[in-house]
Amino acid sequence: MTYDHLRQLLVLSLLFCIQTASIVQGAQDLERKASMLLREEPENPKCFAEGRKDFTCFWEEDEETTGSVDQYSFTYTYQNENSSKCPLRALHTADGKRLYVCHLNRTQMFVQMDIQVHRQGLLIHNRSLLIELVFLLNPPANVTVSNNGEQGQLRVSWVPPPLKYMDDSMMYEVSYAPADSQTEQVEVVRASSELILRGLQPGTQYSVRVRVKLDGISYNGYWSAWSDPVLTNTLPADLDPLIVSLSLIISLILIVLSLTVLLSHRSFLIKKIWPAIPNPESKFQGLFTVYGGDFQEWLGQTNGGLWLTPVFFYPEESPSPLEVLSELSLSPSLPSPQEEEGGLDEEKRLGQVDSALMGQWRGMPHDQWLMDQLQTLHRQPAPCSQSSLLESQDAYVTLNANNHSGDEHLDDILEETAPLEVLFASMRNVSSESHSDMGSLQQSSGSGRLSSESSFEYPNHTWPPKGHGYTYMVVADSGVSMDYSPMSSSRVDDIGKVVIYANEYKNEIPAHRRPLLTSIKAMFKSGDFGCSSFLSCLIQMNPEY
Amino acid sequence: MCHQIHQQVVHESAFKKTSQKQGLFALLLIVLEWTRPGLPSPLRPICDLRVLNHFIKEARDAESAMRSCREGCSLSESVTVPQTRVDFDIWEKKNALDQAQEVQSGLWLLHQALSSLRASVTNTALHSHLDNSIRNLLSINAVLRSLNIQEYTPPASVVAGDETWQVSSATDLLQVYVNFLRGKVRLLLLDAQACHQDVS
Repeated sequence: MTYDHLRQLLVLSLLFCIQTASIVQGAQDLERKASMLLREEPENPKCFAEGRKDFTCFWEEDEETTGSVDQYSFTYTYQNENSSKCPLRALHTADGKRLYVCHLNRTQMFVQMDIQVHRQGLLIHNRSLLIELVFLLNPPANVTVSNNGEQGQLRVSWVPPPLKYMDDSMMYEVSYAPADSQTEQVEVVRASSELILRGLQPGTQYSVRVRVKLDGISYNGYWSAWSDPVLTNTLPADLDPLIVSLSLIISLILIVLSLTVLLSHRSFLIKKIWPAIPNPESKFQGLFTVYGGDFQEWLGQTNGGLWLTPVFFYPEESPSPLEVLSELSLSPSLPSPQEEEGGLDEEKRLGQVDSALMGQWRGMPHDQWLMDQLQTLHRQPAPCSQSSLLESQDAYVTLNANNHSGDEHLDDILEETAPLEVLFASMRNVSSESHSDMGSLQQSSGSGRLSSESSFEYPNHTWPPKGHGYTYMVVADSGVSMDYSPMSSSRVDDIGKVVIYANEYKNEIPAHRRPLLTSIKAMFKSGDFGCSSFLSCLIQMNPEY
Repeated sequence: MCHQIHQQVVHESAFKKTSQKQGLFALLLIVLEWTRPGLPSPLRPICDLRVLNHFIKEARDAESAMRSCREGCSLSESVTVPQTRVDFDIWEKKNALDQAQEVQSGLWLLHQALSSLRASVTNTALHSHLDNSIRNLLSINAVLRSLNIQEYTPPASVVAGDETWQVSSATDLLQVYVNFLRGKVRLLLLDAQACHQDVS
């Protein structure tokens, strides 16, 4: 007996607890909805339907001014029907207010309902409504948010409120926002219980919630409360293959362009980065490649080419002074130097070093070149063969060892010297006083080692004064006179100064009494004459210098 | 020779005439086949409720227009209209036939009432609304027909049943019209068997 009693007691208590719990829960729901309706609905009493069959109305009163529940009466009347009363109950809210609630379990929809609230016989509230137009549903349940495998997308699904006949009349609002952001976006969904959110940020956590309302065509109502937010992470960002491929292509194009620019300006860049060391190789053909830089050998093997090679140093030789004769005014009666008297050196320092030739020669300053020549001449005791003064008026000295005709070597001579022929031809027309005695080594057959090609030109008037007791050379140009007179070699007692002008040789040879000699083709080969340069021969002819 | 040719020509002309007749006859048969009147072919069921939603919206527009009308918008006589209330417990207990009967009779009553209202209203703005409403009622009849819902044959004498009541106000009439569409008609279409057979 006691055991049975206990069991019954236990069951009853359980039922009681469950009921209490449901009542408490219902009360909490009611309080929440009531508070929401109190905000939204202006009319009194506030009424709402939660399903197809239930209906709740309430109104609010202050605790101070209210009476007891019995004082109030809630009367409702359907159209074309008799009125009915609704039992009221009172609820105490948190903020000191009292709610009077009427609840109906059976309703009629699609028909007008008139509500009247009386307090102690006095009408305090009056309202006419249709029940299907005041729905206030519970929020959607089981809101699930999941990744559907796409970037920046989330799939939201929920369970609609369990109302028969009303599934296709429901309208949903989905609110989503990043979890840490306050700005939220809202999407409206009709007659469907799932939605795909697009355009979301990858790799972020989103908070999603849903609420429901009837669409207002057949049924209507208020927006439900928001469902509890659901947090979900979107897929992390992955490389868009299009972006990756485009960036690769662009970088390849840039690399190709830069390479093209670099290669096209390769020589310029190399010059800038590795500047070329000046190399005199081109001026000395074969010096570095064949003779390995040995200048002596190279000199010995070359023709001397077109150029007088002024660079020939014998460091052991000390420079010897060179007497430079001054400009002399020679009379035409000066005896022409005989060839046979010539102790002239074949090396033809006979030839006057013309400034023009100097200019043609390698940019060496005229004076320095002469000094160098003097030095070299002094160093090398070249056996200078006898040479006679030139007798021919039209002869000019070409110093070379090839035994070619001087005329032939004219071709090798620079063009500036070409008009010398004309010059010499005009010499004949020069006045006698300025006529120069030209001796041609060619004609000095007795000159021994004289090169027949050697020809020396000098102006007549530059005949040096008598009295010279040494072999000297008359070097004459436009303003310089030098006498190459072997016969006066024994009587040289003074040294004339040879003024050598560092004038530029110009092709305009004045036809007046200027000395004819303007240039000397100093083409010689050192081998024949035993001296390597013009000035070396020049110096050797005056050994005392 | 000439005679033979003549005979040949006659035969050919006769042959042509008969062939022409046959061609015309064939053409006539084809045309009649296309425009064959008579037995209504079974219509495809219209299960989409958006049609009804459209009618409901237009009915609501008419009701609001009537509410704002001041003159020339009154019923000359009281009309019988169906009851629109729906108690779901009761409704669900009814079988499909009863439901269909209820809806069809109600639609017929409404059609009569709206026609009467259309006749008595002088406001031209309301004429378009009322004409629209009457057209919609006929369309709803077609929709129900497509769902194999039997048509309503009105009784010889008007029976004042539980499901009817009298209205004398135009606004009330239109309100009844709207509520009827939203309630019973919609529930009937939702429950239609023809639509449920397609949906798994």
